[in-house]
Amino acid sequence: MSGSRRRFSSHLVLSQAAPFIGFLASMVVLVAIVIFMRESPVKAVEAVYKFALSNAARLGAVLSISIPYYLSGLSIAIAFRAGVFNIGNEGQYFVGGLTGALAGIYLPMPAPLHIPVVVIAAMLGGALWALVPAVLKAARGISEVITTIMFNNIGLALVNYLINGPLSGMAKGVSLEPQTRKILPTALFGKLNGFFRSLGWKVPDYVYLDYSLVVAIVMGAVIWFLLFRTRQGFEIRAVGTSTDVSRYAGIKVQRVQVGAFLMSGAIAGLIGLQEIFAIRGFYTYNIASGLGFDGIAISLIAQNHPVGVVFSSLLFGFLKQAGYGLQLSTKVPNSVTYAIQGLMILFIVAINAVVVRAVRSMRRKELG
Amino acid sequence: MADALLELREITKQFPGVTANDHVSFDLRAGEVHALVGENGAGKTTLMKILYGLYRPDSGSVSVEGKEIAVRGPRDAIARGIGMVHQHFMLFPPFSVLENIVIGEEAHRAGVLSVNAQRSRIQAIMEENGITVPVDARVEELPVGLQQRVEILKILFRGARILIFDEPTAVLTPQESNELFRTFRALTAHGKGVIFITHKLDEVLAVADRITVIRQGKIVRTMDRAGVTKPMIAELMVGKPVLMEVDRPAREAGSVVLEVRDLKVRSPRGLTAVDGMSFAVKAGEIYGIAGVEGNGQSELVHAIAEGVEIESGEILLGGVNARRWSVRKRRENGIAHIPEDRLKYGLLLPFSLATNLTLGRHNKAPFVTRLQTVNSRAVRDSARRIIEQFDIRTPSETTPANALSGGNQQKAVVARELSAEPRLLVASQPTRGVDIGATEFIHRQIMKARTEGKAVLLVSADLDELLSLSDRIGVIFKGRIIREFTHEEAVREEVGLAMTGGKAGEEKAG
Repeated sequence: MSGSRRRFSSHLVLSQAAPFIGFLASMVVLVAIVIFMRESPVKAVEAVYKFALSNAARLGAVLSISIPYYLSGLSIAIAFRAGVFNIGNEGQYFVGGLTGALAGIYLPMPAPLHIPVVVIAAMLGGALWALVPAVLKAARGISEVITTIMFNNIGLALVNYLINGPLSGMAKGVSLEPQTRKILPTALFGKLNGFFRSLGWKVPDYVYLDYSLVVAIVMGAVIWFLLFRTRQGFEIRAVGTSTDVSRYAGIKVQRVQVGAFLMSGAIAGLIGLQEIFAIRGFYTYNIASGLGFDGIAISLIAQNHPVGVVFSSLLFGFLKQAGYGLQLSTKVPNSVTYAIQGLMILFIVAINAVVVRAVRSMRRKELG
Repeated sequence: MADALLELREITKQFPGVTANDHVSFDLRAGEVHALVGENGAGKTTLMKILYGLYRPDSGSVSVEGKEIAVRGPRDAIARGIGMVHQHFMLFPPFSVLENIVIGEEAHRAGVLSVNAQRSRIQAIMEENGITVPVDARVEELPVGLQQRVEILKILFRGARILIFDEPTAVLTPQESNELFRTFRALTAHGKGVIFITHKLDEVLAVADRITVIRQGKIVRTMDRAGVTKPMIAELMVGKPVLMEVDRPAREAGSVVLEVRDLKVRSPRGLTAVDGMSFAVKAGEIYGIAGVEGNGQSELVHAIAEGVEIESGEILLGGVNARRWSVRKRRENGIAHIPEDRLKYGLLLPFSLATNLTLGRHNKAPFVTRLQTVNSRAVRDSARRIIEQFDIRTPSETTPANALSGGNQQKAVVARELSAEPRLLVASQPTRGVDIGATEFIHRQIMKARTEGKAVLLVSADLDELLSLSDRIGVIFKGRIIREFTHEEAVREEVGLAMTGGKAGEEKAG
């Protein structure tokens, strides 16, 4: 019945509408705040446009900021799909970043080999930090929400200790920032800006469009394929939908969840790579924090879909860049953008609940 | 018709792809019970929703006492004297009976409740209709039968003269059902009309004055109770003669497929639920487990099919100890399972029907390739065959399972498990909540599995089902098989007596 199939697809469009409506609604609130602060909305919009969208450099910056957001969102998405609430990707990326950096510092090898090796080392570190919560959940049913939050603190403290103590690479008098030794040049992430320029996109060299973009794209493709084309991915989605049905069907629920949890940790391990390998060239406790928690929102907005996460992470990148613009050219503080992010999630979740119900009842009616 | 309380004329309601009601005419007289029967998806519910104002008909009219009305919603319906007792009660469990009855219509003085004034009116309604409920009890403390009476009082309190009951006996014990039918009589004696929606034919014959059969959205026939028989209604409902009795070709049972020895299993709450149970099921045999619910049936099924940890004893599949096998290994070794709660365990509701029809075998060729990727073409091809073979009604195999009707969801689970070509089929309440056509179909499929040489363990609360299908029946009481009957020995009364742990049963217990 092509008629009903068409209808199903129009439901599909509708069911994807929530993020857009939520975005628009939160933008309305933003404008209201701007007016409330006695700023001209026109000026604010202009600032946002100028700072986030007006030329290749600005767009490049948005893309650059979105890379760690994407990896973080992807990490959360794969866990969510299996019904695992991994709040620990914050700790996982601090630990994964460190193991990656160590491979970059202490394992000399030629560049074409070294870069994949540090990527794998970072993934192993992230997965390692997810291992204990994963096993505790599978074997003893202990809530991963609690254990991963605890492991965030443990991970951060451990990393802090290591780079202040045994792994400290500070040359006296150079910097007060505790840090490791410099990463070997063979492991550093080069930039793709030249490549983009050769395609006609004029991003200047100061924008960080580095190999981590490739890492993010590859990971997104791998996870998409895994989730929607493989048996393991099917089992992940089945478990996330109903552990009861999955168990009944012979799916080894615990094993699937541990697998997804470790994959989530491994991807989380990659979140810090851009800053460590492309921007700083060494590891420090002061790499950007909070990206792990942002991933939860990014994944939720995207309904835990690897393709959707592309858009929601770009949206977060845009908002961050727009926030800088607002702060510089208007009285609106940067922190307003965080409030807007929160509001947006609230809107999307609420609208989505309404839409899901509407679609379901429409389908029911169609089939009588 | 002068004495028609309610008349629906030429109602048509279409949903995309389906005509749910096709020129349906139906009337209800004062003082009668009019049964509306039909299979799941025949259009009963749509018709009642139109009457109740939840759907607007595409064409046709509704009149109450000869006056045409437009019903725009439940509030409108009740204002016209149309009330509905839903299958799932619309009550607030922590509130008292009184509060539940008056809710939305509370008497108050300047915003302060004075519901006590309404108490006497409720008493009068109860007396008039012979319905007794403790008015001040909290609803959650009442048994289901009494909760249903609260629903009835609620609509009577609002002045209903046309009462619609949607599958009211589905949740009741036989005694409670009889009580309900007495209430029907009391209601009709006072000039009210009752519409009774059901697919239990015995009840229709017991209580209805007139019977209307609906099939595929059309009224097949409206007839008086006198002279109507069960097979007649069944045939009208299904559209072809229904064999109430399943054919059982004679067959020698083969070798033992499942053997349970001295099995002990604890319930999730830690009580001993299966307490030293032993029995064997042979190839080409249906072994029925009869018993009052809660005597260890669920735990037995879980131990055999779901790999729930057992306390002691053995479960042998083809002579091999399967005690420590995972669910997957059990499935790979030929155990199929129709679970009792099919909606909770049977289907991944947001996933396509095709995916659901291969669930449990999704990890085997041809549904996965050698590289462990999903072969969705093989999944869809297999699904199309199963849909055709088992007559599952769906727009296509890619339709999500949650868009199917309840009956078709049930069929999908049964179809999947049987099409796995198992050695042992564990069927737990396979026809619970299923309509006649589908029940007959499932019975024939189970019998076919037996005739093909599969071993079947049939656990059911429906004694008639057990008596007609089983080659042997084991009666379970307090976690043990206390008596076994062959098909020939099994007499309804004796099996029933054994189920209550009666004398006749105890001889074999020791």
